[in-house]
Formats: sequence, C-alpha cells, structure tokens
Amino acid sequence: MADTPEEIKKEQKKYLLIGLILFIFTIVTVAVATVPALDFGKHGFDAWDAIIGLCIASVKATLVALIFMHLNHEKKSIYLFIVLGVLGGLSLIGLTGWAFIDPIEYGTATEGTGFFSPELVIEEE
Amino acid sequence: MEIPYTVTARKDTGLFNAKVGIWLFLASEVMLFGGLFSGYVFLRIYADYPWPERALPVLPGLINTFVLIGSSVTVVFAWAALKMRQWRRFQFFMAITIACAGIFMVLKGLEYNAKWNHQAVRMDDFTIVEGHTHKAVIDEHGHFHEVHEGDDPHGTPFKANAVIFKAERVSFSLVRAHEPWIDSMLSQAEERHSKLGAQKQKGTTGIFLYGALVDFEADADKRKAAEEDIVKEYQTAEKIARKIGERSLYIPDGTPLSYALLKKAREIFIAGRAHNAEIRTGILRTKWKDAHANHPDKGNWEIADEAKITPEDTAGQIVKVISTLAFGMDPPVPLVLNRSWIKRPIPAKAKQAELRDDTTLAGALQDSPLALAVDAVDFRWMAQKAIEADKDPMKVIESSWIFSDKNEHAAEYKKLWKMHKKRIEKLEEHLVEKYKRDKLGNPKRVSTETERYRMGWKDLLQYAKAGEEGVSPGEEKFDDLRPSMTDGFTGPDHKNADVKRLHAFPELKVPHEKVAMASAFTPKWNTYYAIYFTLTGLHGLHVIGGALVLGYYLLFSKGLYRRNPEWLANRVEVGGLFWHFVDLIWIFLFPILYLM
Repeated sequence: MADTPEEIKKEQKKYLLIGLILFIFTIVTVAVATVPALDFGKHGFDAWDAIIGLCIASVKATLVALIFMHLNHEKKSIYLFIVLGVLGGLSLIGLTGWAFIDPIEYGTATEGTGFFSPELVIEEE
Repeated sequence: MEIPYTVTARKDTGLFNAKVGIWLFLASEVMLFGGLFSGYVFLRIYADYPWPERALPVLPGLINTFVLIGSSVTVVFAWAALKMRQWRRFQFFMAITIACAGIFMVLKGLEYNAKWNHQAVRMDDFTIVEGHTHKAVIDEHGHFHEVHEGDDPHGTPFKANAVIFKAERVSFSLVRAHEPWIDSMLSQAEERHSKLGAQKQKGTTGIFLYGALVDFEADADKRKAAEEDIVKEYQTAEKIARKIGERSLYIPDGTPLSYALLKKAREIFIAGRAHNAEIRTGILRTKWKDAHANHPDKGNWEIADEAKITPEDTAGQIVKVISTLAFGMDPPVPLVLNRSWIKRPIPAKAKQAELRDDTTLAGALQDSPLALAVDAVDFRWMAQKAIEADKDPMKVIESSWIFSDKNEHAAEYKKLWKMHKKRIEKLEEHLVEKYKRDKLGNPKRVSTETERYRMGWKDLLQYAKAGEEGVSPGEEKFDDLRPSMTDGFTGPDHKNADVKRLHAFPELKVPHEKVAMASAFTPKWNTYYAIYFTLTGLHGLHVIGGALVLGYYLLFSKGLYRRNPEWLANRVEVGGLFWHFVDLIWIFLFPILYLM
C-alpha cells in the first residue's frame, strides 16, 4: 500500500478510475435488467439475468475490496480472516441447498383445494 | 500504560491493532449478511405466491448506488489527505462522504414512506389490487360515504379501510383493554350522541367487584342489604365508583365508560385473583401435609387424589372475580373500527366482532367497503391458483368479481383488460417475429407472467393515454405513451397531472366480505417485503453507524491530528474500511432487490 505522500498522490488517480468503472458497471447492471435488447436468456427475468447481475456485482465488490480496501497490498493474516468470513457466509448460503435435497412435499390430492374461492369454479364447456 | 501498536504495525503480523480488529469484525459481518442473503434465497425458492420480481422503482436505488460508490471514493480521498497531512482537504472529502450518507438515508426514507402509504388488497378470489385508500365518513345510519378532494364531509373522515360495526353492547377485558381504542370509541359515541354505560347483571342494581373477601359475599341476604344501602346512598351518575369494604368497587348501572374505571376494576380483579390464589395455596399446602402424614410410605402420585382441592374446601373463603365489564350503547350507533384492531375475520352479517385486546362488540356489521383508487391489478396469484386447479387462467380471471356486475366499476376494468390483452397479443407477435419458433413450432420467447397477468401503474396510465388519443397496441405511437423510468420516482404517482386528468387510476369499492387481506407494503404483506425491510433496514443502520463514526473523525479529531496525525490516519483508514464494506453490501442488495 502506498505510504509516502508521493505514492499516495499517484494512487488517487487510481481511486478515481475505479470509481468511474464502478459507475459504468452499475449502469450496465441496470441496462441488462431494463433494456429489452440486452435481455439474456428467456424474455424477462430468468436465471441468466440473475447470473449476469450477480457476476457484475461480484466484479464490482472485488474492485472495492482490492483497491478501496487495499486488499491488493494487504498482509497474509488479513486474507485469512476474509477467507474464513467468506467461507462462513458462503456456507450459510450453501444451506439453501437443503431446499433441493429435502424439498417440501405437497400432497397429491386435487380435491378440496381449500381456500380457493368457490366463485372461481366455472362451468366446464 | 501505553497501548502498543496503535500507530505502528506489529512486526510479526505487519498490522496495527485497529486493523486486525476491523477485519475480524468485517469477517463476522460477512457471515451476518451471508445468513440474511441465504434467508432471501430460501424465501424466494419456496414462495407459494408469485414473487414480486422487479417490483421496486429502480431510480432511487440506482441513485443510492451512485451515492455510495461516490462516498467510497471520497472517504479514501479523505484518508489520502491525512496521509499527505492536508487537514483542510481531509475535512472537505469527509464532509462530502457524510453528506452522501445523508442523501442515501433521505432517499431510503422516501422509498419506505411510499411503501407504508401504499395499500394492497388481496380479495378472496386471489385478485390483488394496489392503490391509494380513500377517506370516508359515515352518516348517522352508519352508511358509508367516500370523501373526495374538495368535499365538505359531515363527520370525522377515516381511512376507508375500516370495519363499521353498529354496536349495542361492548364488553372489555379488564386485563387487556387498550386505552387508545377505548378513547376512539368514546369520542365516536360522543360525536354520534350516544353513551356507553355500564350494564348491570340480572337482578342487581349495579356491578360489584370484590378484590378481597368481603364478609357478605357468602351471605346473600347481607349482600342484598348492602346493595340496597349503597344504591340509596350512591346511585348517581357523578359517583362512578364507591368502595364497599376492602378493595371493592360498586359500579351503578349506567356508569359511563372510561379507561380509568376499567383500570380500577382491573386492580380489583388482580387483587381478587391474588386473594383466591393465596387461599387455594394455603388449603392445598395443608392438604398435602395431612396426606403425607396419613400415608408416610406412599409416593406423591398415590396420594394426589386425597390432596385434591374441592369447591367445598374453598366455600365462603374465595371471592367471585369479574374479568370483563359490559357497557351498553344508548342508542346503538355505528363505530368505525380500524382493520388492524380486528382479531379474526368478521363474516358478512356478523352479529359479533372481536378486537385484538379481547374487546367484544355485539350488534351488527354495517356495509364496510374498502374504497381505493387502483394503481395496479394483479391476477398472477389467481392464475397460479387456476392452473393448480386445472382451470384456464384467462377464463377464471375474466369470470372474477372485478369484471362482474357486482362491481359497480366493472366497465372500466373490462376496458383496461381488453387493451391489456391486445398489448400482450402484440408483444407475443413481436417476440415470435424477432426470435422465431423452435423445431416444435413453439415460440422461442414468450411474454412473462407479470406482463400477462399484471396491469401495473405504468400500464394503466399508458392505456388511459392511448384511450384518449385513440391509439391501439401495436401502433408505433402506443409505446411512446408509456411513462419512463423517471416518472413516479418512488412508485405510482397519484398526483401526476395526466393521471388526474385522464382519471387513469380507476375507482374500486371492495366489499368487506371480499377482502381476504389488506395491508400496506410492509413486512406483513408478504415475505418479499419482510426480507426487503430486514436487509435494507440492517444496511441502513450500518450507513447511520458508519456516518456517526466518520462524523466523529471530522468534528472532534483536530487535537489528535496535531498530536499524532498518523494515528488519526489509521483511525480513518479503519472507519473507511467499514464504509467500503457498507458500499460492498449495497452493490449486492441493489441488483437482488431492485432488478431481479
């Protein structure tokens, strides 16, 4: 990390540049989600839009961490904290895997849909 | 003792103390937000209702993203200024950072406010309508009248999302009665020239509450004599209550309702309960002692029958406690009950209503529609239910209440729906034209469920404009009539000139029995808003916390700067690290909550 005034002066240009890149990426994220011509995958929101949106967000987050938070110059021990923290966070998100391993099982009965309004049961032709 | 490594780095780790601390803290924060993001994913995967994807207005979120990124740049500039020993420059950039935090919170506040003031209604057939609730008044017969801008209402207007109940008798739980609700009922009764007076029990002249054993409780003749004495002496409207014996209260028939009276009665109820408990405990204690003495070799479970307490044991010793007090309305008048007070659904023609503080009203439910100007009609859930029940969603939608003769505004909705269907038809044609069909002849891209089954506020305004100009979907000009991203900054704009002129947001009166759930866009409306408020609320608290710390450096650090500027630079670096983290979280929150 820059420590002398001269070095820091140089660094400031980099910070501005990164800020600009983050601005541009933000516009790209919004454009991908709102401009029909940039709609990936199926029409409207789908998994592809989620993947692209999260990828851009991850790139932005990495830039913030590396440059603004000076991780690119940081000591080893800091990386250890972060790796542990991120692993902890990811494992919590990984818990959502239970939704696939052990899904909620719905009954198969079709009769008596319960609170479905009787008014909606229209005559079959 | 001086703490080492506040300014210089430790040789083995290469870090100063605060940096180790902040990184450990940030690691724990990653896990905290990781857990909440996990919760979001879970809720979304298993939502049993159509998830409100891309439901929030993008612009405030986008501006907030720019604001936070900008503040991340300025905070690092502030730190760099300290490193270069430029105090003025530090102050300048730090002030901008804190101003950014302020802008962020103001925008967040505007966004929250729009949610809290936006009404959503789920009908019993799963039609969802959103909009702005009207004000209304009721006349002396309890008839509902909407109040519009410029009207001169007779009576106090209320939000037209209430239950109107003509009460003959209201019973209050002494323990749970909620003062503001009682005050509201009292002022409504007064406004309608009615009185709430205590209702006596059969065969008495008033209500006696006994907090402790009064000697005549066991003796009916003595009690009657005492009652007669009291009636002679005290039965006047001014003397609400009078002590007879220790901690007892006499409430003559017709005593006006007040919270103070209920509070006094509660004290006596609690005292009576305490007295009875004491007597029962004493009797039980003696009984168990005796039983143990009679059967020294037996276990507790074998002698339990012998130690049982019976009504005969307590006869003449315990007092009768009253936990509710009933008041009659004379004459019976309609009361406006806020929907949030209601404990359980009140069916049409109900003779009784129960409030969450266990107050029970006996009387008759009046016509209590929920009247609103609708800015969105959403059939997605209905379509989902129809598909689950193996019905054609379009048929189910078109035979629903909103399009039926029972809805006095049905014609407007039919007209809008007709244009909506036409628009979707044209969209589908366009998608086939542009993306073609697959080998099986199915279109490669189709309209989304949201497009098909939901008419949002931008749709409604677009259709109204199209109707005015005689443009129909598919014509080039139709697309130009759509409101842009900058229209309606935090959501549907009911004050928009075009909306008002064209009456673009149609009226609706949802009958009481059709309202399955009514809510503002708060956590109770659905799990999406629950997790939205949790995530953004926690993030907002981080913004406030961060701004406070950075503000402290800005305002109270001149002394430290003079003594030891490097130390201050280290502090600002650590505060800045937290600030970048707050930005980093928002970088994920924005696309997840606003764009997906």
